[in-house]
Amino acid sequence: MGSAHSVPAEMRELADRTGFTSEQIEHLHRRFKQLSRDQLTIRKENFDSIPDLEFNPIRGKIVHAFFDKRNLRQESDGLADEINFEDFLTIMSYFRPIEMNMDEEQLDRFRKEKLKFLFHMYDSDHDGKITLQEYRNVTYGPSCPVTTEFPAPALTRCLGPDQVYEGITFDDFLKMWQGIDIETKMHVRFLNMETIAHCY
Amino acid sequence: MEDLGLAAARVGAVWLALVFAFIVLPSALGVSLGISEAYMRVLVKTLEWATIRIEKGVKKPQPQMLKTPAANGIIERDETPMEKEIARLHRVDFEFSDIFYFCRKGFEAIVEDEVTQRFSSEELVSWNLLTRTNVNFHYISLRLTVVWVIGVIVRYCLLLPLRFTLAAIGITSMIVGTTIVGQLPNSSVKNYLSEVVHLTCSRILVRALSGTIHYHNKENKPQKGGICVANHTSPIDAIILTNDGCYAMVGQVHGGLMGVIQRATVKACPHVWFERSEMKDRHLVTKRLREHVADKSKLPILIFPEGTCINNTSVMMFKKGSFEIGGTIYPVAIKYDPQFGDAFWNSSKYNIVSYLLRIMTSWAIVCNVWYMPPMVRKEGEDAVQFANRVKSAIARQGGLTELPWDGGLKRAKVKDTFKEEQQKNYSKMLVRNGSIGSQPTGTESD
Repeated sequence: MGSAHSVPAEMRELADRTGFTSEQIEHLHRRFKQLSRDQLTIRKENFDSIPDLEFNPIRGKIVHAFFDKRNLRQESDGLADEINFEDFLTIMSYFRPIEMNMDEEQLDRFRKEKLKFLFHMYDSDHDGKITLQEYRNVTYGPSCPVTTEFPAPALTRCLGPDQVYEGITFDDFLKMWQGIDIETKMHVRFLNMETIAHCY
Repeated sequence: MEDLGLAAARVGAVWLALVFAFIVLPSALGVSLGISEAYMRVLVKTLEWATIRIEKGVKKPQPQMLKTPAANGIIERDETPMEKEIARLHRVDFEFSDIFYFCRKGFEAIVEDEVTQRFSSEELVSWNLLTRTNVNFHYISLRLTVVWVIGVIVRYCLLLPLRFTLAAIGITSMIVGTTIVGQLPNSSVKNYLSEVVHLTCSRILVRALSGTIHYHNKENKPQKGGICVANHTSPIDAIILTNDGCYAMVGQVHGGLMGVIQRATVKACPHVWFERSEMKDRHLVTKRLREHVADKSKLPILIFPEGTCINNTSVMMFKKGSFEIGGTIYPVAIKYDPQFGDAFWNSSKYNIVSYLLRIMTSWAIVCNVWYMPPMVRKEGEDAVQFANRVKSAIARQGGLTELPWDGGLKRAKVKDTFKEEQQKNYSKMLVRNGSIGSQPTGTESD
């Protein structure tokens, strides 16, 4: 960093809240400006300009996740029309890698947050439960031929022999992922910015 | 007031005389006086000094510097193919895990995608004393700031007028010269003179940009009756190449000054200029180019198959039209050194005038041009495969990365056919795995 440079207060606050370093935030800010075409907020249409994303079968769900108020940590429910850079960072922070110095409790919270994000992606009607229909919508999507014999064993697995299947709640969801360290898989790894020499 | 006018006229005359003596005349004769070389040496020393001062100014101890090419992005991507990754996760017998892979890929694409990256200027590893490349100006030291100020004065007050004069001289002499030569009847004398005029004007224009060009492997220079293909970074690519040889250019007819130049030059040398309506008809274009190539006495055609300007860190999809014509292809790789000036034309951000202004106020344009051995289409190879083969060769030679994407994505969206194919792949895999996944658990209804 430049010798006589002080990190602006809001940047530091963002860094603390989202866990990104200031260089990463600067890079993400530039990316945000690119996507928003220098506006202060982005809307769903702005994500259309990413060719790599077009190929993704769950593209719609991913973009939707950015505008989902539950992910934006707002008390209200439903969808936002547009998000600003802070919201953008909040969503991106679901994908930040674990740090070496995290303790048990932090790791657990970290994991829960990531899983909650995934849960929200499935639970499209915001009722706190993933039904079979919602599951099918995400996994098999509109482009895949849906046949009635789709087993969905994952969903029915946690039910007892007499339980009627209603839908999985977040706790059931958490139970399913026990033992699998998804937090090591669910992150975007930034290259170490320090090694690139620059004057800022 | 009269004295002032007289004095100004005298200064102007002296200025022009100097320019002619030191730059225009040597260009005409193909001789170099070594002024550019001296300038470049001074420039390199200054920039090296600046880099060292900047590094010293950074108080934090720098770890061992890895040669991470900034152009290749800021995130580390996991390149395991879709099938393997999903299979790996499937061992845990979970359908939810499919979503994982796509979720992560989606986020990686949002943070940074390969294509959009190519349409913005390459980021420099260290600052080159131009404000435009400085992403975050911090005061490092007084000396550095002084050097920067001197740099600004030199560039705007000394170099810009000089370059502007040269460009004006170059363009005017090109128009006048080719018009004169165009009046002559077709003969070998006319061809010779036309070559002289084109070469001289190119040399003047290259000096107008303070261009330092290194040509490699001159023995592979494109021959008559061949087609020269190169990667495209900016409109001045054509000048860079014509500095060393004569080509027949291909392009659309423009209006304005460009149109005047086009109309003048086509009289002297058989360039192929298309009307806008003709460009749409691919067969017409191919036919005209074929006729040109068939005549072995005609100059080699110069084509940029990418169709648009890319930022010189990668080579994008080559349009197959140029490769259907037949004949010998002479690939040429052009790589600019971004340290001295950014040659990339971001047409959505700058128009041509501001682009030229930026070029003329950079330090210099330094580039390497590699002539590569000629390539022909092999038996059983179709135009697309041939195009990809040439593209790989150029990318390898120039040290650029290769992308399968179409440069047209700068403005358009991904074609639906590509999307559907990817989705079909995924569905096929799911149905297959779905049936496999349910086999061990025999209690599931099938």
